[in-house]
Amino acid sequence: MIGEIWDLIILSPMINILIVVSGALFNNFGLSIIVLTLIVRGVTIPLTLKQLRSTKALQELQPKMSELQKKYGKDKQKLAQEQMRLYKESGINPAGCLLPMLVQLPIWIALFQSIIRVLAVVPEDFLKLSGHLYSSWPQVFSLVPLNSRFLWLDLAVPDRYLLLPILVGGSMWLQQKMTTPKTGDPRQQAQAQMMLWVMPLMFAFLTLQFPSGLALYWVVSNLISIGLQYFITGGWGGLTAQAATKPAGADRKYIKRLTTAEEKEIDYADTEADIGADVGADIASADVATKEGARYQPSLRAMKRHPKKSKRPKRR
Amino acid sequence: MSKKGVISKALLLAVLLLVLASGLALPSCQTARSVPRGWSGVSVIDEALFLGSMEGKLVAIDGSTQQRLWPDVPFEQKQSGGFGCAQGTQAVAIYGTPAVTFELVYLTGYNGKAYAVNMETGALRWVYPREDELDPIVGGPAVLGDRVYFGSSNGKLYALDAATGDKLWEFESGDKIWGTPAVNGQTLYIGSFDKKLYALNVADGSLKWQFETEGAIVATPLVYDGAVYFGSFDRHLYALNEADGSLRWKYQADNWFWSRPLANDGIIYAGSVDGKVHALKTESGEVVAVFDLESPISASPVLAGGDVIVAAETGQVYSLSINPRQKKSLVNLEDEIYAPLATSDGVIYIHSADDVLYAVDARSGATLWSLELESE
Repeated sequence: MIGEIWDLIILSPMINILIVVSGALFNNFGLSIIVLTLIVRGVTIPLTLKQLRSTKALQELQPKMSELQKKYGKDKQKLAQEQMRLYKESGINPAGCLLPMLVQLPIWIALFQSIIRVLAVVPEDFLKLSGHLYSSWPQVFSLVPLNSRFLWLDLAVPDRYLLLPILVGGSMWLQQKMTTPKTGDPRQQAQAQMMLWVMPLMFAFLTLQFPSGLALYWVVSNLISIGLQYFITGGWGGLTAQAATKPAGADRKYIKRLTTAEEKEIDYADTEADIGADVGADIASADVATKEGARYQPSLRAMKRHPKKSKRPKRR
Repeated sequence: MSKKGVISKALLLAVLLLVLASGLALPSCQTARSVPRGWSGVSVIDEALFLGSMEGKLVAIDGSTQQRLWPDVPFEQKQSGGFGCAQGTQAVAIYGTPAVTFELVYLTGYNGKAYAVNMETGALRWVYPREDELDPIVGGPAVLGDRVYFGSSNGKLYALDAATGDKLWEFESGDKIWGTPAVNGQTLYIGSFDKKLYALNVADGSLKWQFETEGAIVATPLVYDGAVYFGSFDRHLYALNEADGSLRWKYQADNWFWSRPLANDGIIYAGSVDGKVHALKTESGEVVAVFDLESPISASPVLAGGDVIVAAETGQVYSLSINPRQKKSLVNLEDEIYAPLATSDGVIYIHSADDVLYAVDARSGATLWSLELESE
């Protein structure tokens, strides 16, 4: 039953679209996979933007995290409470960064299943393809099996020249590096470093095992992420020492737009009186920092809730 | 929850995600793809049955006692030692039905090799190519006279000396060849993924004529009464004049034709993966009957006692007749069937996807015996 729903909603549409797009692009399945990647990333752009904002906010919370570390360094419990409070107030869910990846998991599985069916490698898989073709799309019957050659790759098998694992791992490392927050806490730094290396290495390893067509999707997807991050969050992020703290043009536009939207919703702000004095201090700090132009603080949601408090002078 | 906890959870999620992704298909020391298993049909000579098992073995069985004529002959190929994997061997998938003469049994493997085995002893006579290997061979061999013919995924059709395995000639098509050649007199017919059906001179492999369809061709052609009948992935069944390859007629179904059609008494029966057997007049292509089996048909049918015996992928076996027009359910093996059917003396031999060989009475549908080929 689940298999039938999967076939109907995800696998069959993907297979037919891949075939038709391939036919339109000179019978080039590699180009078809790239178009699929663009479509998927296009459809999930709201999630990606949310992730980028979360990542950006996480990066910019680091100075305040360091302050908390200094302030409550000895009281671990209090430190954890304050950190969580900071996350809540900033509207950040650190695990939210994984959502776009989780959403793409079914796409990876479906793409893998599509590749092994449309490229006619194992007869059992290829025979199953017939059940997925739309009878109302006569061209799909003429186009299969698709050509598995793309550049130096055979899209049905792992890259024998090992270039693709390097590209997958490298692009993922670059993307991760751009989003890795700088932190003064050595423990967090170590965790961030681990994340920075574990995922690229795992994907490079998977590239050695999976058909190149799937790895092609990963590379293109990573490149799209890098491009989006560069243009939306401003610069190379964690790749450079300063870039993480400077809002880029696009970012400033986003902040401005968000702030304008927030100003319209100011009236209900004082009804939420459950935020403590510490928060007020943080917000004040954010306000000052923004005015100074040195950095902008991400506690926009908190500002939205307490616009008046945010005008209070910084409390020391 | 502390930040450390949140990050740990995030990391755990990421790892879980990857494990899920890698769990798609990662048998140990295999790249992530399906493992080819094969669907060899059965060749019958007198009481002897020959077929390729899904463990990559040539099996010879005495049909009357169900005992092995000789120990199974295993065919193995080197398994590349992938990342962190030691080199080893793995069984060869056998898709083609063995071809049998009175002395040798011929077999083709997905490992890109063709073999000849002594029919009396099971001893290997020759292997082609002796060194290296071709691209995967999915179709079976065809033997006529002193020659054996087969096609490969490298797009070539090979003609070998049946006694020695020496190559006599080869013909290159534009794409993979997965079908089994059909030989009639001095002409060989073979379909290719390049959408063409080729007619070749068996003497030297020169092209007599070719006919292009709109889809890839896997189905083995049938030569009957001066015409060549074959199905294509463009969903059409074609009838060509044997002499010059001109089109007599074509007929459209709802999906691919994968299996070889069958002709009897002026009617051609073609099973399609659209789940129907299309019965057409051989002369005109006019529809006589369409039998809906409600399950894809990829196993070639056989003729037994004047009736057409056909198996659906689900394991349901039917007996079809035109006069009177009826679809009779013979037996449900509840086991997927992809291999071509075989028949001898009113018995149907069916090799299932679970690697079980069934002997079914063509008239009553009773299962006479079944044999699990998998070694214990």
